[in-house]
Formats: sequence, C-alpha cells, structure tokens
Amino acid sequence: MLNKGKAKALSLSMLVSLALAGTAHAQVTDNDIVNDHLTTNEVVTNGLGLHGQRYSTLDTINTKTVEDIRPVWAFSLGGEKQRGQESQPMIKDGVMYVTGSYSRVFAIDARTGKELWQYEARLPDGIMPCCDVINRGVALYGDLVIFGTLDAKLVALNKDTGKVVWKKKVEDYKAGYSISAAPIVVKGKVITGVAGGEFGIVGKVRAYDASNGKLVWERPTVEGHMGYIVKDGKKVENGISGGAPGKTWPADLWKSGGAAPWLGGTYDADTDSLFFGTGNPAPWNSHLRPGDNYFSASRLAIDPDTGKIKWHFQTTPHDGWDYDGVNEVVSFDYQEQGKTVKAAATADRNGFFYVLNRENGDFIRGFPFVDKITWAKGLNADGSPIYNEPNRPGNPASSSDGKKGQAVVTAPSFLGGKNWMPMAFSQDTGLFYVPTNEWEMEIWNEPTAYKKGAAYLGAGFTIKALKEDYIGVLRAIDPKTGETVWRYNNYAPLWGGVLATAGNLVFTGNPEGYLIAFDAKTGEELYKFNTGSGIVGSPVTWEMDGEQYISVLSGWGGAVPLWGGDVAKRVKDLNQGGSVWTFKLPKKFANLARN
Amino acid sequence: MRILAIIISVWCLSFFAQARSLDDIIESKYIVIAVYNDYLPFSAKVAGKPVGIDVEIASEIAASLNVELRLKWMTADESSEDDLRNNLWKGHFLDKTKADLMLRVPYDKDYKLKRDDVGLLVHEQVHMFAPYHTETWKIVFDTSRLEAVPTMALFQYHPIGVEIDSIPQFYLMSAFRGSMRKNTRQFNTLDLAVQGMVNAEVDAVMGLRSQITSLHHQLQSSASPKSSQYQLANNAFPLLGKQKWDIGMAVHTDFRALGYSVGDIVFAMIDDGRMANIFAKHHAHFEIPTYYSK
Repeated sequence: MLNKGKAKALSLSMLVSLALAGTAHAQVTDNDIVNDHLTTNEVVTNGLGLHGQRYSTLDTINTKTVEDIRPVWAFSLGGEKQRGQESQPMIKDGVMYVTGSYSRVFAIDARTGKELWQYEARLPDGIMPCCDVINRGVALYGDLVIFGTLDAKLVALNKDTGKVVWKKKVEDYKAGYSISAAPIVVKGKVITGVAGGEFGIVGKVRAYDASNGKLVWERPTVEGHMGYIVKDGKKVENGISGGAPGKTWPADLWKSGGAAPWLGGTYDADTDSLFFGTGNPAPWNSHLRPGDNYFSASRLAIDPDTGKIKWHFQTTPHDGWDYDGVNEVVSFDYQEQGKTVKAAATADRNGFFYVLNRENGDFIRGFPFVDKITWAKGLNADGSPIYNEPNRPGNPASSSDGKKGQAVVTAPSFLGGKNWMPMAFSQDTGLFYVPTNEWEMEIWNEPTAYKKGAAYLGAGFTIKALKEDYIGVLRAIDPKTGETVWRYNNYAPLWGGVLATAGNLVFTGNPEGYLIAFDAKTGEELYKFNTGSGIVGSPVTWEMDGEQYISVLSGWGGAVPLWGGDVAKRVKDLNQGGSVWTFKLPKKFANLARN
Repeated sequence: MRILAIIISVWCLSFFAQARSLDDIIESKYIVIAVYNDYLPFSAKVAGKPVGIDVEIASEIAASLNVELRLKWMTADESSEDDLRNNLWKGHFLDKTKADLMLRVPYDKDYKLKRDDVGLLVHEQVHMFAPYHTETWKIVFDTSRLEAVPTMALFQYHPIGVEIDSIPQFYLMSAFRGSMRKNTRQFNTLDLAVQGMVNAEVDAVMGLRSQITSLHHQLQSSASPKSSQYQLANNAFPLLGKQKWDIGMAVHTDFRALGYSVGDIVFAMIDDGRMANIFAKHHAHFEIPTYYSK
C-alpha cells in the first residue's frame, strides 16, 4: 500500500515537473545554483558557477566554428537611460534576465529577443549614488529574480510577471549607500554587500532569506563593529569583527572605516566559504589613519550560515592610493608535486595577482600582472607589500600654506591594474584570462577645495596612459608561474568581463564595441563583431535547442568616462548605448565542423 | 513673515528644465534658487517648511525681483565643484534639472581661477559673485570640564568632537605631528558632535562658525539651569591653511545680467542691515566680507 502510494505520488510529481519544464515554469533550486558550472542549458549564477570561474564546458563553438557564429537578435534597453551596461545575462528555461543602468530589470525570450516584462525601480528624488548608475545583474532563486538598486534596496520580482514579491531596504541611501553588484544566492540565502562614498559609511555583508527577504545575519567589514545573527526572529550579537575596535585604527576612525564590499562575492562549496572583497578605508587621506585599517582593501572568507569571518587577506594595508580590494576571488584547484592545491586567485587593483590557499587564506604566491607598479617594490613572504614610501600621496597637512601640494605619480592608477571586470579561468589551459589596464595617476593635495561651501582639503588627480597605442591588455596568466602566456593590447581601457570555454576560446568585449573571440592557447584573434556601443558587460554562453548561444550586453559607460584627462581623450568618441546582443552557431555549421 | 509667506516648497522640480536669463525669469514670474538640504542654520526643511539663513536670503532676492521663489534642494556631492555642476550648469545625471541661482558658493579668487589637470578653467561654466558673509572655524566648549581654550594645545589632553571628513577633522588628526589625534572624536554631523558634548563624550567641538554660534545659542536657551555651561572660544588655529573665506553665489556664465541684478540686491541687503538681521535671527555670527569695506 505504502509503496503504491509513493509510486503514485512520485509519478504525479514527475508529471508535474515535466509539465512545468514544458511550459518553462521550473524553479531555480539550490542544486541548480551549486551545479551551474556543470550545466550547459542555463546560467543561473553570476560567474557561470558560484566559484566565479566563468568557464563553460560547451565546445560546439570552438576555434574551428567560431567564425560561423552570427547574431540572432538584439534587444534595446530603450529610453534615454543609456549609461554603462555592466550586467551579466542569466538564462533559465529559455528566458533571459538582465539588468540595465538606473536599476532596471528585463525578462527576454532567449530565442527571439522579445521582451516579456520590464521592471523599473522608482528611485527617490535627490538620490546621489556614489558610483554611477550601473547595475551588474540579478540573482535567481525559486521563482524570484532578485537585484539591488541604486537606493540600496534588494528587490525580488516574480520571474513570470516582473511584479514585486518582496522589497528590503538594505541601507539608507541618504547616508551615502547604494547597491550595484549582483547578489549571490547560497543555501537559500541571498547575500549582498553595499557600495558607498566618503560619507563615513561602514561596509557590511548581509544575508537574507531568499524566499521572503528576512535578515539572517549581518557582518561588518570594519574592525570593531558588532556582527548580528537572527535567532527565533531576534537579532542577537554574533561577535565583533576583528575582535575589538581600534587595534589597527587610530582614535575612533574605525567608526566610519569605509571598506565597502561593493562588488559582491563568490562562493566555494569545498570549504563552504563566501569570498567578499572590501573597498578602500576612509577617510581617503592615509596620513590621518596610521595602521593597517582592518578590514579595508581585503578579501574575507565568510561562513555562509553565520556570517563569521573565517580568514582575511589584506592586499593593500594602510591604503593611500584608493586600491579597493573588491576584485573577485576565483576558486580553482591545481596539481603540484602530485597534490591537489585548493587555491583561490584574485587580481587586485594594486597590480598584483595573488594565489591564496582558500582553506585558510595563506599566501601561496603573488606577482605583478601589469607592466608598471611603483607604489610597492614587491611582496614580502607573507604577501604584504614592500612599500615605496615616496610614492604615497602626500600629507595635506604639509601643504597647509594654501598652495598646491607636491604631486606624486603612481602606477597603477586608482582605477586599478584590474577593476571590477571579472576574469575567467579555463580548466583546460589552467590559465586565467585577466582584463587589465596599463595606466598611472598623478595625485596632489588641493587646498582650494570646498565642500558645502566650507573650506576643504581635496585631492586633485589625473589618470595617464602609459603607452601611446594601448591602455587595455587582456592577459593569459599562468597562476603557477606568474608567466603571461599571451597578451592582447587594446587602445581603450578594458572594462568588460571575460568568458572561457571548452572550445579553446576566450571571449571578451572592448569599449570600441567589439565582441572578440581569442584562441585560449595562443591569443590569436579568431572572430569579432561590432555591437554598436562599447562593451562593459560580461559575456555568457549556454545551449538551447541543440545550439550553442553567446550573449553580451553592449552600452558604453561605467567609471572610465567619468574621469577627465588623458584617458577621456581616448574614449570621448565612443557612443553610449544599451542593448543585449545574442549570437549562436546554427546547427548546420556545427555539423559541418564535425564532418 | 512677509518673506516666509511667499515661499513655496517644491520638492519635485522636474519642470525646471534649466538655468535661465533674467528676462526669462521676470517673464515667467518665478526664480529657482538652489540651497542645501539638511544644513542648518543655512537651509533645511523643518516639519516640511523651508527655514534658514539661505532660505531667507533667497526669499529676499525673489521678493526684490518681484517673482515667486521656487527652491531647488541640493543633496551635497563630494565638493562644491560637483554641486555647481549638478545644480547649475550641467545637471545631475539622475535629475537633470537646474537652478537659476545657487547660494553658498565660495567667493575665492584662487578657486574661481582654478585650472584642471589639462590647464582648462574648472569654473568657466559659472559666474561667482556677491559674497554675502565671511566664514571661519570656531570652538564651543564645556566650562565644567575646560576652564578656557587659550590654545589648541589643550586638545592633546581633552577630547574634542568634529564633523566627519571636515577640515577640523583633518586639522585635529594631523596638525602638530598628530598629537591631538587620539583625542579627536568624529560625528556624522556637527549637531551630533554638540550633542556628544552635552553627553560628556567630548569637552569641546570645532566646526563652522555660523553653525557653532547658532548651536551654542540653542544650548544657552535650552531650559537647563546650566545655560552658561557652554562657551565660545576665541583661540587661534595655527597651521590651518585657510583661516577665513567668503561665501557668495553663482549663476550660469551665460546669464551675467542676472548675476549683476542679484549682486545689487545683495549689496543693498548688506548695506541696509537686512543681511545682518537674518544672521542675527538665526543666532549665527555675521561678518561682512572685505569686498564691502569702505
């Protein structure tokens, strides 16, 4: 009897799930998310897998067939809101979910490019987001599409209707907070950081129950602040970050330490750790805050269940150059002397590439990945920098005579050897494909500055290209040796993400508008297509109806055009835009290649 | 009262497309004047009503031009330069509306002639004029814990509050080889710093003179019997770069006629004492800019 009943229930549920699959109503489960790097028919994580490798096992499009891929549709994000499209598309059951600048979300039929729905967050008047109006994408969970808004809210939409299911204020935008990163979903929790300018903010990572938006835990990323966990509906204390205040900060500057985890995080299932990076410490003038200033410019491994910090690794202690430590941590394994090393890699704004032991945060090795680094002479055995003190921007106090202070020229510029744009790791070549930029900055103290009409000491700066013919360099880097296996120089700075595939291909876009495919082993350029505006988003690939697709957002913007000087001249003729471009390799060409 | 009666609070200003000429302003019978949000005693909305020194000055200007006043509330960006761009000549990328006139703009020749990293004038898009008061720094202290504040040396031993990311914070944390650093406590606003002094977290507070004097008056007039407990100091601020500066206004550079016209109104207000009266009403110390010295 029992067996019969069970079988009946089972067959019924199978029928239901089959029916759901048929009408594209399946839910995104924890399992789908954890296995995203193995499945080829959907993209349900930012990074094509929680570890952020941005590697696909698809190989129908490969070095032989890539020349035959073609655009199948383009979708305009519309309106006048064409400013920096940094989103990564997500694909589930033939539907694509993307975000646009100004906190917008679109659901699109992935086969035809037809819009299914659009959601536009109503932003408050007088909002002043610190860091442009970009958005880097959604998270999917259950039947929800979850994203962060410029006014620092998390919004969960129904995936079929685009209607709001829940909305949660993460921080007060009036206090200078904002969200632009894609949230990450781990074990049913949606986890997000925050962005913020120099308004005395304190960085925090928070986990919410993905189904209803209720807070689960919150973890400050500045030493001295109390973390919280919710138990039985009550917020209870869960340990002070770093143990106690003031250990690595003078006076009470820890109260407003900055260290915003504004780029979101990755997750490693092996060690059950979230990896979040943190921004620069506040205030910007490093001479006011002698000390390491924990946990600014660091990578943190966080327990996804409790929000406890398991380990930290600080790339730029006592930062004075605005080298945010937010860049993504990518988990990967490699073999050395017959043993598997559980490693994590990150390419920092400060110009150094770090390989860490992801179980404990120990430094394995580090090396420069850009041609010129002047703020540090190298790394110590523990991975800490050997400072080049004359290249620290000067103390504004010493220019208090009202004259412009001594200028300091430092490489890389504060926009970094690598900025937010995510790199890819190929499991076939064992190489990281890193979008980098070669530039330096000149910084001086600016005594003729005012803030709300009050005298102020500002910093003046300009970013300069190091080379006449390029700023951007896509590099294939061997994490075991530090060797750059190949490089591709690009005139404008690179600002888009990278995708690696089992087809021995590497894809990225450039501000000139091209989606480019390279041979992963040699760097040979095999295909390019101009999307009409600069690419600053991250490409993805998936399989649908037996054909391999590739999609990327096009729409020039982000931080680069906001700064003047040398670099502005290089990008001033690039046109803004806002569209999704989708390509595929038609079956007949895939078959030809096989013959 | 006459002034307040004609103020119309306008929060959403999407219909103010851009800065306009004097003729257009007169013809349209309204002027859009930009003032800061939450910045007492200069400008703020208290219980939905616009109040403050700059609000009253804006009202006087509108009344003198015989037009209706529409306020554009500015959310402060990182610098006055950004505020000029966001509110006067380019518009902010989220809210592209602009004002005809902006208050609380530094009147400083070096600032006006400042050049950017490629040698161009930073402020060529705006015309800065009509200094309407002189600003400086000031300390208020608690006499129950400090007898007097003869020099800054005291703050090697006594805690002092400052507003976060302000010159007083820079100064106290770096001057004299950082010897006052450990006693410097930061607060998100000057109000909170003064509240911190009342709560005995700090013995003194350093901030903008207009704000400190106005807050000091509030402390004195509060019902507490210890109303003379808090005093203003008259110490010097050695090694502090800019000791005093003037506050004026700005218009888009294309609309100089508006600037001249408003300049005349401000001059009259200074000359006949209306400006001093407005400051006195808000208990903020008023100092006439040297521009008007006879």
